[in-house]
Amino acid sequence: MAITSTVSADGTQVTIYIQGRFDFSSHQEFRNAYEKLAKTPSRYRVDLQGTSYLDSSALGMLLLLRDHAGGERADIEIVNCSQDVKKILLISNFEQLFSIQ
Amino acid sequence: MNDVRSLKILVADDTDSDRLILETIVRKEGHNVFAAKNGLEAIAIFKQERPDIVLLDALMPELDGFDAARQIKHLAGDELVPIIFLTSLQDTESLVHCLDAGGDDFLSKPYNRVILKAKIKSFNRMRDLHNTMIRQRDELSQHHERLLQEQTVAKQVFDNVAHSGCLNASNVRYFLSSLAVFNGDVVVAGVRPNGNMMVLLGDFTGHGLPAAIGAMPLASTFYGMVHKGFSMSDVLREINKKLKSILPIGLFCCATMIDFNFRRKRIKVWNGGLPAGMIYHKNGNITPMRSSHLPLGVLPDKNFRDDAKFYDLDVGDRVFMWSDGIHEARNSEGEMFGEERLLQLFAENESCESAFDEILLGVKNFIGSGEQDDDLSMIEICMESPENLHHPGYSFNQQLARVEWEMRFEVKPTSFKSFDPLPFLLNILTEEPDLRGFSGSLYTILAELYSNALEHGVLGLSGDLKKTPEGFTEYYTLREKLLNEITTGFVHIYFAYSSSVEGGCLTLRIEDSGKGFDYASRQGKELQITGYSGRGIGIVEKLCKTVRYYDAGNKVEVVFAWVNDD
Amino acid sequence: MNLTRHIDYDALNALKEIMEDDFGFLIETFIEDSNDRVQKLCGLASAPDTDAIRRIAHSFKGSCSNLGAVRLAVLCFDLEQNALNQKFESLPEDIADIEQEFLIIKQMMLDFLD
Repeated sequence: MAITSTVSADGTQVTIYIQGRFDFSSHQEFRNAYEKLAKTPSRYRVDLQGTSYLDSSALGMLLLLRDHAGGERADIEIVNCSQDVKKILLISNFEQLFSIQ
Repeated sequence: MNDVRSLKILVADDTDSDRLILETIVRKEGHNVFAAKNGLEAIAIFKQERPDIVLLDALMPELDGFDAARQIKHLAGDELVPIIFLTSLQDTESLVHCLDAGGDDFLSKPYNRVILKAKIKSFNRMRDLHNTMIRQRDELSQHHERLLQEQTVAKQVFDNVAHSGCLNASNVRYFLSSLAVFNGDVVVAGVRPNGNMMVLLGDFTGHGLPAAIGAMPLASTFYGMVHKGFSMSDVLREINKKLKSILPIGLFCCATMIDFNFRRKRIKVWNGGLPAGMIYHKNGNITPMRSSHLPLGVLPDKNFRDDAKFYDLDVGDRVFMWSDGIHEARNSEGEMFGEERLLQLFAENESCESAFDEILLGVKNFIGSGEQDDDLSMIEICMESPENLHHPGYSFNQQLARVEWEMRFEVKPTSFKSFDPLPFLLNILTEEPDLRGFSGSLYTILAELYSNALEHGVLGLSGDLKKTPEGFTEYYTLREKLLNEITTGFVHIYFAYSSSVEGGCLTLRIEDSGKGFDYASRQGKELQITGYSGRGIGIVEKLCKTVRYYDAGNKVEVVFAWVNDD
Repeated sequence: MNLTRHIDYDALNALKEIMEDDFGFLIETFIEDSNDRVQKLCGLASAPDTDAIRRIAHSFKGSCSNLGAVRLAVLCFDLEQNALNQKFESLPEDIADIEQEFLIIKQMMLDFLD
């Protein structure tokens, strides 16, 4: 799997793309994508278009991101989910914590 | 300058001096001259020498120029042999007579060398052009013949692929245009192990070979999967994937696919791009089955929608499917047949059995005579009770549809670090047609249980570590370290699969060599865990029918069940 | 029509150039054939066969034009037309004219050969 990210021109939004399986093996890269930024963004997007599968450790990683982004006040969108990925997020009631599309 | 190659030229004139002059002029131009004194001689020489150009005096004794010209033209056949009449006839009527007789031009007396030279050159050019055209016409004709032969062979190959179907079942009637495959029309039908009949009517864009090319992979995919018991969604998805990968952009297949469940008297319909099929109920009502999807071969797999509509039927209801050949049939005024006329035919129909024929007749009459009247494809399938269905090779036996197997698998310490058994096991599981639609859930279940068995069981890691962000990282670093060091332990995986016509269940047991955990105290907790970990089992519990722990907690058994709703 | 010129020498010269050594043979052939035609015409002067007269006149006209005997060609054309229109009042005179003209150009051609 591969993690890539882009930052908007004004630095207020970062989009993280997850390719392949989203599991523990990507956790360091995932953290790097949102922790080591020049300017702290105000919005986060996690794009799961290329994500084939998501396990419970990935759920944990999303929560880590949420905490880092301000917890309750965090503005995080999880977008382009496939049916299987969406199912796991909804079973875990993550739509209560994130905006899921 | 001699810019025309040396030709054979026939000169016929009954006046000696005139003939002599002409002969000399032509010879001086570099050509081979043959001289005749009258019409009969001219014809004789023509037969023998087959000259390239003929100069004929109009009025000659024995056989005059006109008759000679006619005969020479006849003898020439396909070849262009220009005939130039030598004449000092001035009146229009005579000149027209010359042309009628086959003359291509005139040369008047006194003979002018320059003019004659120009005419010879001009007609020679015409001859060359004509010969090229004849040669190309013959080549084209050969090509065409070859193409027709190739098409015949392709059609035979295609028919062989398509013939393993059940289109000759007792409740099926169909009409396919004679060159259906080259119009892009394809009909395939097969019986699933559970007794359902699956039918697909497809219409590929385009004509000729490009349209026919897609039919074969479609048919072979269809028959390969239907007989194994794959569901309609699986088959559609697979066909879509295949067509998307082989067809160029802009080519696709409009299709209607229907799964007939004769036990439950129910059909499941998917229509992507074809005109609405119709359910013709016994009581005369019509239910249209409209297109609600994109055609096959357009969307990539992850965007493909395989959802279908259910319709409940009575015995005796008839289901009609057709390509656009009916709706787009045109009469001599260019009008299209259209859906309204079709509905009209149904309205006027008195007895259901004859609807099929009446539709064909109606379209044929509409098109009128002289036009291609078989360029359409239509299929009618009648809802029947399973006992009344007959076709060669089909026997209604529910017992045959029961499948059971077991499988044991062990991951050994040497493999823990490098071998991920999950894709491998999932691959095996999805070979079971009934399980293919659940691959996402099955992977989740397997992954959670296996990672628990490996990490908490064999490696002895505690989930408590993952309470803080740093702890999260530490956990996985530790995991890596322990994996590299481990030399003992095991993970046993056991599957038991059982399925029938109605549905089935997959039992999965995983046992690890670890210490286990206190599962009793965990029982009944909702998925309200707020920490960074611990959700895994909750998800598994939601996906499976039952989840049970045994022994010290290092053994878990889950049952994943499903019901076949077709 | 009253053409004073009997022979178009430009045409005759051009012909000589084309025919080269066969020129003499050509002239002889022409004179022989023409003689024949004239005799035939004379024979038809008193018993007019419209068709025959027309054909001979037409043919003669053609060969004369090829040899540059322009006046004789015109006389033949007139005869051809009269025959076509069944006008035979001046038939004997017309034929006599033709005979006469032929004798003139025959000599001229033979002279030309030398």
